[in-house]
Amino acid sequence: MKLCVPIFLAVTIAVVLANGPLPSLARGPLDACEKVEPTSAPSDSDSIGADPLRGDPLHNNAAIKVDGALDTAAIADTKVPLEETDLEVLLGRAERSVVKLYGAGGARGLESYQSGVVIGDGSLILTSWSTVLDVDKVRVVTFDGRRLDAEIAGVDPQCELALLRVPNSGLLGFELDPQNIAKIGQRVFAITNLFGIAAGNEACSSQKGVVMAMSPLTTRKGAMKTLYQGRVIVVDVMTNNPGATGGALIDLSGRLVGIVGKELRDEQAGIWLNYALPMDVVKNSVDRILSGQANMAAANTQAVPQPHRLNDLGMALIPDVIPKTPAFIDWIREDSIAARSGLKSNDLILLVNDSRVDSRKGLERILSTINRGDSFAVLVQRGQELIKIQVRP
Amino acid sequence: MFSSLVLECTRSQAIGQPPVGGPAQIQPPQIQPAQIQPAPPEPAPEVLEAQKQRIEAMRVAAQATVGVFGVDGQGGGSGVCITPDGYVLTNFHVSSPFGHRMRCGLNDGKMYEAVVAGIDPTGDLAVIKMFGRDDFPVAKIGDSDRVRVGQWCFAAGNPFVLATNLQPTVTYGLISGVRRYQYPAGTILEYSDCIQTDAAINPGNSGGPLFNAQGELIGINGRCSFEKRGRVNVGVGYAISIRQAMNFFWHLRSGRVLDHATLGFTVATDTKGKVTVSNILESSDAYRRGLRYGDEILRLDDRQIGTTNQLKNVTGIFPPQWRVALRFRNETDTIDTAIRLQNLHLPIELEEIVKGESSEEPKAPPKSPQEEPEEKSDAEEPAPGDPPQGKGLRKKEGPARKEKDTLKDALADRYETKRGFSNYYFNRVELDRIVGLQKSRNQWPKSEEAWVLAGTVVGETTNVQIRVTDSSLGFALGDKPESVDAKRGWTPWIQQQSLVSLAFAIRTWQQWHQSGPRMMGEAIYVGRSPLVGRAGLFDTTRITLGEVDAVVYTAPETGTIECIELFTDNQSDPAEIYFEKVQQNNGKEIPERIRLAYGLETRLVVDVVRSEWEPAAVIESGKEKGGD
Repeated sequence: MKLCVPIFLAVTIAVVLANGPLPSLARGPLDACEKVEPTSAPSDSDSIGADPLRGDPLHNNAAIKVDGALDTAAIADTKVPLEETDLEVLLGRAERSVVKLYGAGGARGLESYQSGVVIGDGSLILTSWSTVLDVDKVRVVTFDGRRLDAEIAGVDPQCELALLRVPNSGLLGFELDPQNIAKIGQRVFAITNLFGIAAGNEACSSQKGVVMAMSPLTTRKGAMKTLYQGRVIVVDVMTNNPGATGGALIDLSGRLVGIVGKELRDEQAGIWLNYALPMDVVKNSVDRILSGQANMAAANTQAVPQPHRLNDLGMALIPDVIPKTPAFIDWIREDSIAARSGLKSNDLILLVNDSRVDSRKGLERILSTINRGDSFAVLVQRGQELIKIQVRP
Repeated sequence: MFSSLVLECTRSQAIGQPPVGGPAQIQPPQIQPAQIQPAPPEPAPEVLEAQKQRIEAMRVAAQATVGVFGVDGQGGGSGVCITPDGYVLTNFHVSSPFGHRMRCGLNDGKMYEAVVAGIDPTGDLAVIKMFGRDDFPVAKIGDSDRVRVGQWCFAAGNPFVLATNLQPTVTYGLISGVRRYQYPAGTILEYSDCIQTDAAINPGNSGGPLFNAQGELIGINGRCSFEKRGRVNVGVGYAISIRQAMNFFWHLRSGRVLDHATLGFTVATDTKGKVTVSNILESSDAYRRGLRYGDEILRLDDRQIGTTNQLKNVTGIFPPQWRVALRFRNETDTIDTAIRLQNLHLPIELEEIVKGESSEEPKAPPKSPQEEPEEKSDAEEPAPGDPPQGKGLRKKEGPARKEKDTLKDALADRYETKRGFSNYYFNRVELDRIVGLQKSRNQWPKSEEAWVLAGTVVGETTNVQIRVTDSSLGFALGDKPESVDAKRGWTPWIQQQSLVSLAFAIRTWQQWHQSGPRMMGEAIYVGRSPLVGRAGLFDTTRITLGEVDAVVYTAPETGTIECIELFTDNQSDPAEIYFEKVQQNNGKEIPERIRLAYGLETRLVVDVVRSEWEPAAVIESGKEKGGD
């Protein structure tokens, strides 16, 4: 397998990295996290270590006094400070900027949960674009157990990333630094809610790993079913489990170096790939999504008197049976505008003029804003391929 | 890649060939200089020092790591030795397929014969005992409550039964999560308050130790999340906290089939993290302590409760009958109390679980998908005690085979069946220990005499006199004498929370010392339990005295009775009699200060000023005789 050489390289370098104490932490983006006061922090972990007798597992009843008068407050006051290592502090902070997401799914092996990374000023959550997001409001559960509703601000089908908007989350976000490119052999940590292990105010799971390779997924085309075919960070740790997608890959300074990708399996070898999207790709994608939004906002979103209609274009979509029926093309009339432009039945329409098509209804709404005489661009998913098509009337 | 480090360590320990075929077997790196980042020619001294410490921690830890095999050497799981005389902690799902007999391998290259002591099907723990040495290497017990995400840790054990050379495989990793709650399979194998790690934990690691970076034992590995990738590690393993394991350890040494606890109430959580009582049994101790429907649960043990999982986490680490501190809020007050946990299962339910797990056709843990790599998703599976290839072998072993083994078994006298016990032999061992402690400090002759204790109520001038004989018990508070039969008729007094219960306790004390627990009634060693107001755990013996159950708490080092609880049933408060000062008097231990409480409320404290023996007949003649 192609990735083997980097494994060996990674080993050598990682031995050095792994053995040493942490380099001094440049606590850039994470410093701000200290200001976050959890409304109801996972405080059980804070209050433990209070009772000096707890060190001896055979003496763990000291909290109970005569006549059952329990002074738990006293326990909290006599906290023995834990000597936290830099890594505990680092992960403890980074965990606060990773959220648990819940949405559609739950049947046929499709998870209804995944992970998300809070970015920027805390009002945006970056995650993978997946069927989990096929809902009106995505449920966000923060590190301190708060439940927020997020709406989808935009998606980038090429990178399979989506941005969610959560106003007033009170969360502090990672900075997206396109220069922070992972290097082979670099120590990284994945923070994800894999298997949905964490719930409520429980922190997401942390895993250690090493960057094994920076490799384009295109080389695996055919073997792996993925829309995204750019460069990825390949890690040696089993990050890409169910629910982990959209989680954070951070470096030893606590900075974001990647977004954990979707589960991906080499159909021929049966091997699961553990990878993340690198920061330059992520940053570009986020910029695209945000500008697409801007375009959309700037563009005339008013319905025009003579818009495009599906029937006039010569196509029909699959029946609108669920609240968010995906915009799958059911059939194309021969010699129609749609047919001439190259659309085919079973194409899934993802974007129209960079605006996200979240459903059949969404497509009709967008088409109603485009003049019948104007051409427009669509992005469709055909099998595992993304195809850009210009529809010219 | 960390496993590569471990391989290095293993080699430098020169403890035999490194494990082969592990999940990350790695060739010596072929460095192509052009492709790697510039690296310092020599590792920093801190790096080398850290490596040295890690190697030493692993070397020591590996000595106490146990490979658990069947008597024919088939199958295999892991364990960890925690006492020099050979008590080993492992998983219930590791020990159960082997029945009561197994063999344990240590990294000294020797196999030791072992038998099962106690089992805990709900908590997935078992204690087995190795024989053949009194200086087994032991793991240092760590503090699992101090485990934090971001700490390094390592697991040791017998994954994929690689330890055929008896050298444990060590896998290094990160603490990924703490205080995780993993739902039970049915009602058993519940992992509460467990530690999540990405150290590779694979089938065969089950029952083995998880150590912190210093080599202290912090957990017992037992479970993984697998889902669709087959039964190999995918970066998620769970360990039972060592705190939970040690809470249950002495209970497990009692050779019993243990149960887990329930609070006697259920809760509902709202989005703001408010946990309120949604249902409560009126027969529960929590109800008797004043908890009602709708009250808000604030703390249990010493931990804040904000979710149902947190409540389950705390409940799961304690054996039933233990008392746990509870803080709750009702409409008007915040109340601190302690509640006695109650049993989760009925005895018959436990019996069926054990029957299903270990007898006849030994079957895999529940919901075990065997070795289908693409099995339907089941997020959490107990890692099997032995690997897929071991299953075929194990199936051949039927009950008949086991019987035969028992007949020729050198350890046959270390195994006794009895209902409710996984191995009654160990209950006798512990009771012998308790009796031995008692005898070493007490020479109470068999006597026909009456024992008279006279004293005063603390803080008052009221006199108290207690007379106990083999036929009747006298209790006089001031000028109000009461007399009760020495053997029966105690129940109404206890249920009415009478002060006369003091006399019952003195009678129990007397009998304990005169004839010993076994002659009093059916005596069962329970384990070690906490006492309200005292630090530490106390040996706990339950004796059936006719219609009353006496639970006697004795100090582990001296055998001195610290407390006697008298239960009439599980629905009402027992009488609790605490012996707060005890004096040695002519080879006898005599209580000097006795306190009677019901449901945490002290009713009477007596300072004993006189302890005498009088001819029983003289006493009896002046009194109305009850019964007989």
